[in-house]
Amino acid sequence: MNVANPFADPLRFDRRVPECTVVIFGANGDLTKRKLMPALYRLAYERRLPASFAILGNSRTPLSDDAFRDKMHEAVKRFLEDSPFDEDIWTSFARNLYFTAGDLNDPELFSKIGAKLGELCRPNVLYYLSTQPSYYGTVVDGLGAAGIGESRPGGWRRIVIEKPFGHDLESARELDTRIHKVFPEEEVYRIDHYLGKEAVQNILAFRFGNGIFEPLWNRRYVNHVQITASESIGVEGRGAYYQEAGALRDMIQNHLLQVMATVAMEPSAVFEPDAVRDERAKLLRSIKIMKPEEVPLHAVAGQYRGFRQEPGVDAASQTDTFTAATFYVDNWRWAGVPFYVRSGKRMPKRTTDIAIQFNTAPHALFASQDGGPPTRPNLLILRIQPEEGISLRFMSKQPGSGMRLRPVSMDFNYGSSFGERSPSAYETLLVDAMVGDATLYTRQDMVEASWRAVQPVLDDWASRRFDFPNYEPGSWGPAEADAMLARNGHRWRNS
Amino acid sequence: MSVAVQPEKILRELRELWDELGRAEETPGGVLRACAMTLLVAAEEQGEAEQVRKTLGVLMHDHPSRAIVLRSQEGSGVEARVFAECWMPFGRHQQICAEGIEITAGGAELSEVVHVLLPLMVPDLPVVLWCRGGRAFTDPAIEALFPLADKIIFDSAAASDAKAALQLLRSLRARGRRVADLTWTRLTGWREVLSQLFDDGVLDPDAVASVRIVHGGSGASTCALYLTKWIEQGLPGARVMVESASDEPGIRAITLLGGSAEVSIRRTGPSCVEARAGGRSYRTPLPPVTEEALMREELSILGPDSVFDRVLA
Repeated sequence: MNVANPFADPLRFDRRVPECTVVIFGANGDLTKRKLMPALYRLAYERRLPASFAILGNSRTPLSDDAFRDKMHEAVKRFLEDSPFDEDIWTSFARNLYFTAGDLNDPELFSKIGAKLGELCRPNVLYYLSTQPSYYGTVVDGLGAAGIGESRPGGWRRIVIEKPFGHDLESARELDTRIHKVFPEEEVYRIDHYLGKEAVQNILAFRFGNGIFEPLWNRRYVNHVQITASESIGVEGRGAYYQEAGALRDMIQNHLLQVMATVAMEPSAVFEPDAVRDERAKLLRSIKIMKPEEVPLHAVAGQYRGFRQEPGVDAASQTDTFTAATFYVDNWRWAGVPFYVRSGKRMPKRTTDIAIQFNTAPHALFASQDGGPPTRPNLLILRIQPEEGISLRFMSKQPGSGMRLRPVSMDFNYGSSFGERSPSAYETLLVDAMVGDATLYTRQDMVEASWRAVQPVLDDWASRRFDFPNYEPGSWGPAEADAMLARNGHRWRNS
Repeated sequence: MSVAVQPEKILRELRELWDELGRAEETPGGVLRACAMTLLVAAEEQGEAEQVRKTLGVLMHDHPSRAIVLRSQEGSGVEARVFAECWMPFGRHQQICAEGIEITAGGAELSEVVHVLLPLMVPDLPVVLWCRGGRAFTDPAIEALFPLADKIIFDSAAASDAKAALQLLRSLRARGRRVADLTWTRLTGWREVLSQLFDDGVLDPDAVASVRIVHGGSGASTCALYLTKWIEQGLPGARVMVESASDEPGIRAITLLGGSAEVSIRRTGPSCVEARAGGRSYRTPLPPVTEEALMREELSILGPDSVFDRVLA
């Protein structure tokens, strides 16, 4: 039945997902417990899931449907944020949770999943790969061989793939080829949960919904851009995984380059998935690829003291727990403007923000009276977490006689201006995948472009031995990161 | 802090209040002033003050505004005081504050106060008038506030004469004023659950022959009238019947019949409804809505609301 709903009221009713089964591979894992299941429950609580919505979990551990429901009940109660937990709603939601145990290497598992999907009889299926990345190809092959990967009339089959998408450019291409043997590109959703954050989406609203900022958004007015994602915690039991990844792969290649693309991309002609993604991809392709001899000047690796003592970590590990890099964008708008990007663990605080530093006033009209700089550059801070918002720093006259200036900050706090609860990134992205909106998902050309941007650094670091550890826990990273900016006359905004 | 009602004095008082807040020891990071609109509140009697303050306190977090509360108090002269509503967002070291002005006037003076309000509105931001209680439907002094507002929010459930209340809303809408009725807002949850049945394709709209609405409380409520009209507009071929039940006020159940199919939504508890369709049933939350939640919903819609406009017409 495909008839327009006569009772639609988009102004007051939230977007709702179609009848669907979500198959989660890795359903016993941390991501499912901490993020996916709380997000799905919350969507049910908000009446955004249809009554017939079903979830089929898979992992190797044998579990009955009821045991799976009990596990998820515990997880949702524990990890649900900003929301009440309602037992009645849970009971209704849990009725549609099912479980099929099995080894991902066993073709029989996919036949069992196919049979279960037939039994559940929902027209659409969303496969969610929440497994270890090394199993992505195996799962896709299994779905293909069992004949349950292809969309059919009246029902789509989509796949959501968690990052990392490959571990370098070549492996990303290999994985993509494997996926496309089963799923066409329009049914592949590569998730980067940073893009689902309200504050990242707000960058687009800020840039393209206002007339006053865009004219300044270019090399004439912007001196440089700093993107920081710092964490105060260490690897927290994920040492074995992190040792293989490192900050460059884990944060910069995906999250931070996507954020950088959102900050620097050209406006799209329309706000439609492919138009927006075309612009992001174009920007990522415009990132200047470092020459081998430039890598030591434009990239800094760090490792905090104590990382090698973490469980699962090699005592001589060369993994970067901190990375800082300078990127340049080879296009008309950004030529010559450095984009400094850094991410690290065990830093002084957890924060993700983007600082756009504008050029100083061309003529120093107001002389300094205290030996400091007469004026400071305007700074626009786009805060992603933990306090989503925007601040603009500008100079103001200090009250009193004389003309002494001091910087003041004009703040917009996302939470205080829109006190409504913001959906979590996973709620947003799950709904988007189910309604077929890929705007906030990455595309293969974007993935490849961002691997291409970091590949020279990966290659260089693979051939070097660092004298790690080189920064203390609770500091802002190694001194070389400061030196990297100092060479351009800049300094990190450490606050 | 009381002042005679002169706009300049009130604005000066507000400035002093901000200075005071900025100097306060407990706010070393200063305060952040937030304002997205002017919210005029036409409140009823003195006794309501506490409730209004509580509601505004919650609303300010979502819709920070300059709140101007007008209260009538027989026998009093005209008095004004300014106040701030401050809160510390989680994880922040800087307070956020929104400002308010409370003006108390005797019934006779209330109409004069209207002239004081214009300079007190925050320029360049929308003005929303919230007519709390039933007085707005009968008091000409409040009617004089209507032209000041971009949107006027009523609650027809508080009116002594529901038909007259609807008539007023219709006439304002016909004159181009943007109006809202919290009685309609209370129906959002029910309407959404009903709408979802059609999203899911449980029923073909053309196949629905009749709809039965059961509501509690006595007399014809605007709530049942609104729901009836909305359903009639969505299902022009269906007969819509309204039954009252000796139950708590509000919608209790909606049943749709078409051919051999029967779909029903009924309240099963104070915060839950159960939908039954095609042999399946599920529960969905529908908790009682507070005044704050209703206002929050309405304040987030400052543009045209075509669905309500059609129902009101």
